[in-house]
Amino acid sequence: MDKDNKAGSKGRGWVRPVVGVALLSMLVCGLAFPLLVTGVAQALFPYQANGEVATLNGQAVGSYLIDNSFTLPYFFHARPANESASGVDPDITLQEAYSQIPGIANATGIPSSQLTGLVQKNEEGVFWIFGTPYVDVLKLNLALIAMDPAYYQSRVPALSGS
Amino acid sequence: MITLLQFISVAAILGVTIVIAWLLAPYVTGVFTGKSSPLDRLFGPLERAVYRILGVDPQRGMGWKEYFFAGLFVNVAQMALAAVILTFQGSLPLNPMGFKGLSWDLTFNTVISFATNTNLQHYAGEATLSYLSQMTAIQFLQFTSAATGICMGVAFVRGFVAGSKDLGNFYVDFTRSITRILIPFCLVAAVILVFLGVPQTISGYRAVTTVEGAAQSILVGPVASLVAIMQLGTNGGGYYGANSAYPFMNPNPQSNILEIALMLLLPTVLVFVFGQMLGKKKETIPILVGAYALFGIDLAIAFIPAAPQGAGIETRIGGFYSVFWTVVTTAVTTGSVNTTLSAMHPLVILSAFMGMLIQSTPGGKGVGLMYMVMYVVITLFVVGLMSGRTPEYLGMKITGRDVKLVMIAFLVHPLIILIPTVVAYAGGFAQAVGVGTNSVGFTQVLYEFTSAAANNGSDFLGTAANTPFFNVATAVVIFLGRYVPIGVLLALSGSMLGRKRNPEAGLKTDGLLFSAVLVGSILILVVLTFLPFLAIGPILAYLQGHVNFFG
Repeated sequence: MDKDNKAGSKGRGWVRPVVGVALLSMLVCGLAFPLLVTGVAQALFPYQANGEVATLNGQAVGSYLIDNSFTLPYFFHARPANESASGVDPDITLQEAYSQIPGIANATGIPSSQLTGLVQKNEEGVFWIFGTPYVDVLKLNLALIAMDPAYYQSRVPALSGS
Repeated sequence: MITLLQFISVAAILGVTIVIAWLLAPYVTGVFTGKSSPLDRLFGPLERAVYRILGVDPQRGMGWKEYFFAGLFVNVAQMALAAVILTFQGSLPLNPMGFKGLSWDLTFNTVISFATNTNLQHYAGEATLSYLSQMTAIQFLQFTSAATGICMGVAFVRGFVAGSKDLGNFYVDFTRSITRILIPFCLVAAVILVFLGVPQTISGYRAVTTVEGAAQSILVGPVASLVAIMQLGTNGGGYYGANSAYPFMNPNPQSNILEIALMLLLPTVLVFVFGQMLGKKKETIPILVGAYALFGIDLAIAFIPAAPQGAGIETRIGGFYSVFWTVVTTAVTTGSVNTTLSAMHPLVILSAFMGMLIQSTPGGKGVGLMYMVMYVVITLFVVGLMSGRTPEYLGMKITGRDVKLVMIAFLVHPLIILIPTVVAYAGGFAQAVGVGTNSVGFTQVLYEFTSAAANNGSDFLGTAANTPFFNVATAVVIFLGRYVPIGVLLALSGSMLGRKRNPEAGLKTDGLLFSAVLVGSILILVVLTFLPFLAIGPILAYLQGHVNFFG
């Protein structure tokens, strides 16, 4: 960047556009554009723009897009963190969901057929000829809680108010 | 192997993308030929104000040297601005998580990596960068490097257009690429991405208590604006370390397909722009057929083994779309990943290497087109040698100097990949970051430098490569891999200005026969150059029975 003093006026001639375009592009692309998108996003799609936050009894309990780390036996579980690429994979395959049904039925007393129905009802991911079927673990478990609130009342910290 | 339905879905995604690119091409061509447009009333006053501030005469054309150095100097100035932000982010606003400034070598690597459209990342954004850095360092450079690539590609084409007197004005092209192409396209893409579930906020990470009572931080941020330009601009650098595997960057199969299409869009648009600017639409045929035939070969190689399942694969994306994405992201040198590369079969990685080594299938926007024309010139030269005739392109004689220039552009690539790969092992730097001295480890190091040289940015090493050696070595490779071929190919284009044309002379290049010869010669050139290294990397890993690269 130091074409130094050899060509005085010519030197100044290119410094101004180089520095000017660098600064302008930073303001427009690095500041104005992301802030514009933020404004539009917050106005049009606030739920998605803020991370698809899931609530239980009016309380934020996580995001549908991020693994909620279920460990208790009366819930569906995601894969261990390091088995996915992101470490926060919120979804499991249908087979994985079905394989967990006997354990949950055992722990909760909810009939397996109802749990199977719940998994089927929450299946997503396939559209036309594209995609691959899966279930969102947090969605599934919130539906599970809604199915038998009395049972989960004492077992879920978010419900028991602790 | 893939099923018929999978084949149809790949064909549908590619087909729709190519058609959209074809529909957008006349608009993009108009942006650079100065064709009047109803949008002039919106953008015209804005652009004229910019030229006044810059003190630039928009009518004044530039030769190749002035154009190239204007671009290079502007890029260096942009690197410097971004480096200030990254170094001092700890004391700057929009840092709700209180992240510290970056080390000098990581800053050096990051600004060169992003200003050159490479986006190799030796950091994890969610744990390293403030909102201000994500916006005014990362997204800023993603826009400007994309605009620079488009400018260089367009200027290159102008040299071949009959009657051109110069390569255009860099500042005008740069301004118009941003105002008329990148910002409007990215705005549309970003809003769709938000609709599909990508966050866009500057209010800080959200602390919640999970259903089972554990504390959790929801890492939201200005993500959609970044994803739009990172895919459309074939940049590839992610908001998060896990890149497009992180659900906030790629929340569902719909976003996954949209992002694949976004990556392919501008490189494909520019292939059509080439023929339209030349005024010879049929000259697009060898460029388009060449690019997509080679891309098809890459896909065919990658789909030979069964798609990976389980470890390293995101459930919502699945193994099949992880493989498809990996081939696309290397074919257009984007470098975003929606999986763990280590989960990929050696043949998928071999296919990824092919994309990064050829660099024009269809390659990064602008630059991929330049490389494809370079291959056309080499092919014409070789065919000319075989038939004993003077090679000609678009009716212009290809001289000895032209051939020297394209050979330099071609040979830079193997040099800056192979030498540092050897140094990384000989100096013990690879072993120091835990890379094995076997086919798996060698593949990972070769991939690192191939990705750097091709300005791709996907990698196996990630934050493990945040060492002074890898930060500096890859930055140097990235810099040379970006600017040497661009400079040399612009010199080639500049020398075409005003060259005598004899439209009847030379081999016909606008047909399928030449396209086939072109594909063959590219395969032979690239395979011959890199075979020994590929042989002891992914090919050996394949022969040893590895089905992935988990060390």
